[in-house]
Amino acid sequence: MTLIVPIGPQHPALKEPENFMFEVKGEEIVDVNIRLGYAHRGIEETLARRNYKYNIYLAERICGICNVVHSTTYCQAVEQLAGIEPPERAKYIRALIMEFERIHSHLLWLGVAAHEIGFDTLFMLAMRDREYIMDLRELISGGRVHSGTNTIGGVRRDVRREQVPVVLRGLDKLEESNKYYLKLFQNDRSIIARCANLGVLNKEDAIKYSTVGPIARASGVKWDLRVDDPYGAYPKLSFDVITEDGGDVLARGMVRLREIIESIKICRQVLKEMPNGPVRVPVDIEIPPNETVERTEAPRGELIYYLRSNGSDVPERVRVRTPTYGSFAALKSMFTGGTVAEIPIVLWSIDPCFACNDRVTLVDPKTGMVSKLTLDEIRRLRR
Amino acid sequence: MNSNEVAELLKAKVDETKIVNERCLFATSDKKRLKDILEALKSHGVTRISTITGVDNGTSVELIYHFDCKPTLLNLKIFLAKDDLSVPTIIDLFPGAILYERDIMESFGVKVEGHPDPRRLFLPDDWPEGDYPLRKDRKVPTA
Repeated sequence: MTLIVPIGPQHPALKEPENFMFEVKGEEIVDVNIRLGYAHRGIEETLARRNYKYNIYLAERICGICNVVHSTTYCQAVEQLAGIEPPERAKYIRALIMEFERIHSHLLWLGVAAHEIGFDTLFMLAMRDREYIMDLRELISGGRVHSGTNTIGGVRRDVRREQVPVVLRGLDKLEESNKYYLKLFQNDRSIIARCANLGVLNKEDAIKYSTVGPIARASGVKWDLRVDDPYGAYPKLSFDVITEDGGDVLARGMVRLREIIESIKICRQVLKEMPNGPVRVPVDIEIPPNETVERTEAPRGELIYYLRSNGSDVPERVRVRTPTYGSFAALKSMFTGGTVAEIPIVLWSIDPCFACNDRVTLVDPKTGMVSKLTLDEIRRLRR
Repeated sequence: MNSNEVAELLKAKVDETKIVNERCLFATSDKKRLKDILEALKSHGVTRISTITGVDNGTSVELIYHFDCKPTLLNLKIFLAKDDLSVPTIIDLFPGAILYERDIMESFGVKVEGHPDPRRLFLPDDWPEGDYPLRKDRKVPTA
C-alpha cells in the first residue's frame, strides 16, 4: 500500500510556498508530483505593459536572492534589441556584482543546508560570512539585497578607487572561512553521513532532463554559460568550471563551495583588470520591431530571457525561464528510491528558489484519514 | 555546433533562418516538420531544451523552442493558427520539456497532443476553463 505525503505549499525546508506530493511505500519514496504557482505573480504579463526602464526594476524583483542576474540579463537583452554595446567598465562592474551574488547565494544555501541536517553551528557561521558579502554589495551598489545597479546601456554607479582595498580585504576573509567549509564537507563525518549518496541524480538523467547549474555540474555535466556562451566581461575572465561526479547532495554542496572560491578569484581579477572609462551610454528606448534571446549563468544555473520589441517603449513580449524551473523535470529521478526522512535536505540541495514553512500532512488514500506533522515532528522523524 | 552548422543541418526542414551571431540563430518551420527537425538535432548530439516560449501575435500563436546546440542557441519557431492550436509533444525526444509543455497549454490554450500529464502547472484550481492568461484576445473578467 502506498501513502501520499503532500509536502507544502507550506514546507520546512523552503522559504516560499510550493507543493510536492510524495507517494511513499513505508519509508521509501516511489513517486513525486509537483504543483507550482503558489508564488505566481503574473510578472511576464506585467513586463509587457510597462516601459523598458520600469521593467529593469520589475525584472530585478522576480527573485530576491539572484536579483542582479535578472536585471543584467534583462538589460543585456534590451541592449541587444536596441543594438547598443555597454561600455567595458560597466561589463566588469556587472560581473563583479553578479559574482558577489553567487557567493552570497551559495553561502545562504550552505547555511540552510547545515540547518536542515541539524548542524546549526555551521548555519550560524555561514550566515555570519554571508553578512561580509552583503556589506560588500552595499558598499558597491548601495543596496544589501536589491542593488538597483543595472540600467539599460550600463550601470548607474561606478566602483570608486578607495572601495577596492575594502572589497579585497572582505574577499580574503571569505576565502579563508570558505576553505574551512570545504574541508568540513570533505572530512566531517556527520556532514558526510547526512549528505553522501542522498538524492542521487546520475549523469544520464541530468542530461536527459536538461538540468541546469550546480545540479548538472554536481552530476558531472561540464556546462557553465559563463564559459560556454560567454557574455559581458566573462570572455576576458579566467576561472575553472567546477564539476563533481557524485550527483548526490554532498556533490552539490561541494560544487557550490568550490564555486565560491572561483567567484572570489573572478572578483579579484575584475578589480585588477577593470578598464577606466564611462559606465553607461545613453539609450533611446523606443526600440524598432526585433526579437532576441539572452541567457546567463545565475547562481542556480541557466537563466533565459526572450524579448520582442514592437517599435514603442513597451516590449511586446517578455518570457523568463528561471533556473529552478529548468531543473524540476529531474525531481523524480532524484527522489525515487529515497526515504521520507531525506526529503528536506534533498529538496534543499536543489536550492529551489521559491519557498516554505513547517507543516506536513499525511493522507491515507484508502481511509482518507489526514494527520498533520509539525516541523519539530518531521525533524524528529529524520533523526 | 555553431550557428552556420545548425543552419546547414536544418536547411531542408525550415523556411527561414536568421543568424543573429555565431552562437544564436532563429529558424521558422511548421508542426509537420517538427519531428524531423528534432530527430536531426538529436542525432547530432543535441539533448538540451532550454524552454518553450509562447507568443500571441494576434492572428496566430507562435511557439519558440529554445535548444542548446552546444554552444549555439537555436530558437525554432512554429506558427499555430488560432483555429487549430495543436502541436505534437516533444517529450519522447526531449523529456526536459515536460513542464514547459504544460506551461504553454495553460497559458495559451495550445493542445499538446500525446502529453502524458496535461494538468495545470501554475494556474490555481479554480481558474476558469478556457481562460488563457497570455492570449491577446483575453477578456479580463470584471468583479
